Amino acid sequence: MKEVAVLPPPSPEEVRQTLAGRTAEVEERVRQAYAKTLEPLFLKDLALVAVGGFGRSELFPHSDVDLLLLAESDKHLPPRENIAAFLQGLWDSGLRPSHSVHSVADCCVEHEDNAEFTISLLDRRMLAGDAVLYRSLEDKFRQFQAKRGHSLAHKISGLAEGRRAKYQNTIYHLEPNVKETPGGLRDLQTTRWLLSLEPREGTPDLSAAFSLLSGVRLRLHELAGRDQNALSFDAQESISEHPAALMRDYYRQARVVDQAVRQAIEASTEKAGTLLGRFHEWRSRLSTAEFTVSHDRVLLRTHKPPQDLSLFEFVARHGLRIAPDTIDRLQGFTPETKWDDWKHMLSLPKASVGLRAMQEASVLPNALPEWRNIECLVVRDFYHRYTVDEHTLVAIGSLEAVTDGRFADLMSEIDDPWLLRFALLMHDIGKGSGRDHAVASLDIARAVMERLGAPETDREIIEFLVLRHLDLSSVMSSRDLYDGSTARALADRVGTLERLKQLTMLTYADISAVNPQAMTPWRMEQLWRVYLMAYEELTRELVTKRIHDAPGMPAEKASFLEGLPTRYLRTHTPEEIDAHFALAQQLASRPVAVEIHHERGFYKLTLLTKDRPALFASVAGAISSFGLNILKAEAFSNTSGMVVDTFTFADPHRTLDLNPPEVDRLRGVVRKVVEGRQDADKLLRGRPKPFLSSRLKIRPRVSFKDDASDGATLIEIVSEDRPGLLYDLANAISLAGCNIEVVMIDTEAHKALDVFYVTHQGHKLADDLQSELKSELLAACIGPR
Amino acid sequence: MRKIEAIIQPHKLEDAKEALKNIGVDGMTITEVRGHGRQKGHTEVYRGMEYKVDLLPKVKLEMVVTDERADEVIRTLAAAARTGKIGDGKIFVYAVADAVRIRNDDRGESAL
Repeated sequence: MKEVAVLPPPSPEEVRQTLAGRTAEVEERVRQAYAKTLEPLFLKDLALVAVGGFGRSELFPHSDVDLLLLAESDKHLPPRENIAAFLQGLWDSGLRPSHSVHSVADCCVEHEDNAEFTISLLDRRMLAGDAVLYRSLEDKFRQFQAKRGHSLAHKISGLAEGRRAKYQNTIYHLEPNVKETPGGLRDLQTTRWLLSLEPREGTPDLSAAFSLLSGVRLRLHELAGRDQNALSFDAQESISEHPAALMRDYYRQARVVDQAVRQAIEASTEKAGTLLGRFHEWRSRLSTAEFTVSHDRVLLRTHKPPQDLSLFEFVARHGLRIAPDTIDRLQGFTPETKWDDWKHMLSLPKASVGLRAMQEASVLPNALPEWRNIECLVVRDFYHRYTVDEHTLVAIGSLEAVTDGRFADLMSEIDDPWLLRFALLMHDIGKGSGRDHAVASLDIARAVMERLGAPETDREIIEFLVLRHLDLSSVMSSRDLYDGSTARALADRVGTLERLKQLTMLTYADISAVNPQAMTPWRMEQLWRVYLMAYEELTRELVTKRIHDAPGMPAEKASFLEGLPTRYLRTHTPEEIDAHFALAQQLASRPVAVEIHHERGFYKLTLLTKDRPALFASVAGAISSFGLNILKAEAFSNTSGMVVDTFTFADPHRTLDLNPPEVDRLRGVVRKVVEGRQDADKLLRGRPKPFLSSRLKIRPRVSFKDDASDGATLIEIVSEDRPGLLYDLANAISLAGCNIEVVMIDTEAHKALDVFYVTHQGHKLADDLQSELKSELLAACIGPR
Repeated sequence: MRKIEAIIQPHKLEDAKEALKNIGVDGMTITEVRGHGRQKGHTEVYRGMEYKVDLLPKVKLEMVVTDERADEVIRTLAAAARTGKIGDGKIFVYAVADAVRIRNDDRGESAL
């Protein structure tokens, strides 16, 4: 416990009294100074007006005292030395006057470069001087306001938006400025101004927020002895024995203000007839039987929201926001969610918008009670700028705005981005527990996934990402990236390229959400180097790291596994390995074992046989000849020369879906091409030529690397995907007399990423063969256009 | 007084700080910087795409010490930041004309 006595924020009544008292006291001094200096000289044609905070009678102890010296006309301005004498007295008495001298006419026109002046006039109050003159200001300003009120509201909104953007439009700063940060006093005042210029129904009650924010600001002024409005960590401790509780109160009230000001700004900027307005009206066509879209806001058509997450899925799909009325109807709403509900929402490109809507309507903590652990949670360190919940949402949002080309590519290559988003939702959820937060988060994530009924494969990747979410950051800062052992250790821990990509993007998002400046070019470069280092190691491992004497396996199974890449163990479940082993047993009685099954919307073909030239190409060709689209493929072989090939493919024309006998026929055809009884090339010739756009969206790239392994040459190919591409590539390699040792094929978003390890007569490829093959492969990438 | 400026590998920062702490040097400024030395960066190939890595991430440490301590600090820094490979970085030493502690106007060595 600190020894310094804390000074808790004053009660609402105290706040009111203090502000009124301070205003009265200053008013008295200002009047006296005016009476002594200006009044005797200008009995007529000059008036002293309080504006801004002073005009509102809400003067804080160390705020500027905003004064307007109102003159009848520009010809009647008091001489400088008289004004100076008046102000000098105020300065000498310790006040900070901020004055301006204007004629009545000047007050009632728009000032392009000084909208703040006109805004300050909204809170005007006569203090002394010519009452007739002041009345003429009242009359003329009212007329001005009636005519130009909308334009003024527009300006106020513009200024507020600019200021809010400086604070990243979020209230959840760990050390907020109670005046300027979103949800602060300036926003509160902005709401009042906008509502006074353009009154609306359903005016929000901001009195509790005003009391808290003003009370804190009063204390900050007292503590600093000046106009200091930053609620720093030190200040939080000086104001409350329980800073965390104080901050939760603060965020709760700031949220009320934030919602109010956003609604007011929207109302003032959106008027029918404007281009923006028409666009928003057009968006109302998105309305469905359940939801109405009006002015970009989603309204419920039924009294109660749907029991699942479909409202938020709708919001995330179209990047909309929910209407205030919807928020009211969502009070206390607890959706019943299953794993698939989260999957559907988080699969959408604007998933973070859906999560934000859930947060805004307080549905997120109901749907995910664990979220309460980190709601408005302040964890202090030098780097984080936001509360933990806000950091989490910013992190998920940052994946939707990746500007760096390398990372944007990487993001597009991720298989199930929603798993990454769910892992981000969980990555800090154990913060504040006092334990290692990665471990605490893992425990919570496990419980959540158990409750939601997540399948084992999804759980595994999320658990990995949550537990390891700090690993890459730590490698970035504390490991020698040029030391081979760093790469090997990291590759061991990460296991597969797929996981590496997810972990890299998770790290990218996590760093980006620390504060707006955290993702410096320096960090981005470091993270990319770490990714590259691990990528190369994992690619190299495909041929260099083989299973040897698999531990704890019966002898027969161990000999089946002997020599397969370790990737095989990492990417297959024990059940799959058992199934492959069973297929391997069939090879005793037949030359080829083929199995096809349907899994999560795709088909998977597994093939075991003795290796032979052009095997991989033939199978790829056979699959393509059915009009099926190969998404992933792997070809591995064990020490005894048996290959295990797996192909994952989509069925875009629903050939297999609608004609179950076709699955048997495909199995038969694959068997025949493998046994050499049928020619894949001939099968493909019968296929109609696919329509190919004449322009490639992805420039094909083919590279050879000799240093990736001891015995084989690595060929990496990036190309626009098209039907039959894999067959053409593999066929080109086979026609050049090369043998494919290991293959790993992936496609994401029309982009094919292929890795082939190839030998020629048992050796690496000679330079001339490489350049010959390179042109063949490039031609294959471009295809018959 | 001497100003010592060291450009080192990022992963050596903790070692360097620790070593300096052990000889009683606590005050320093640390900046994340990017640059290259004589090797002028190099080209890397990622999936067939060549790209030039001309600015490598490094960390810059700056501190001002008394003339007598300068040598010890430089030796300590060099030993802590060394891996023996290209890219370990450099240490630069400057003469410092004066120092002022802003809080109380202390001047010269007493401001350090």
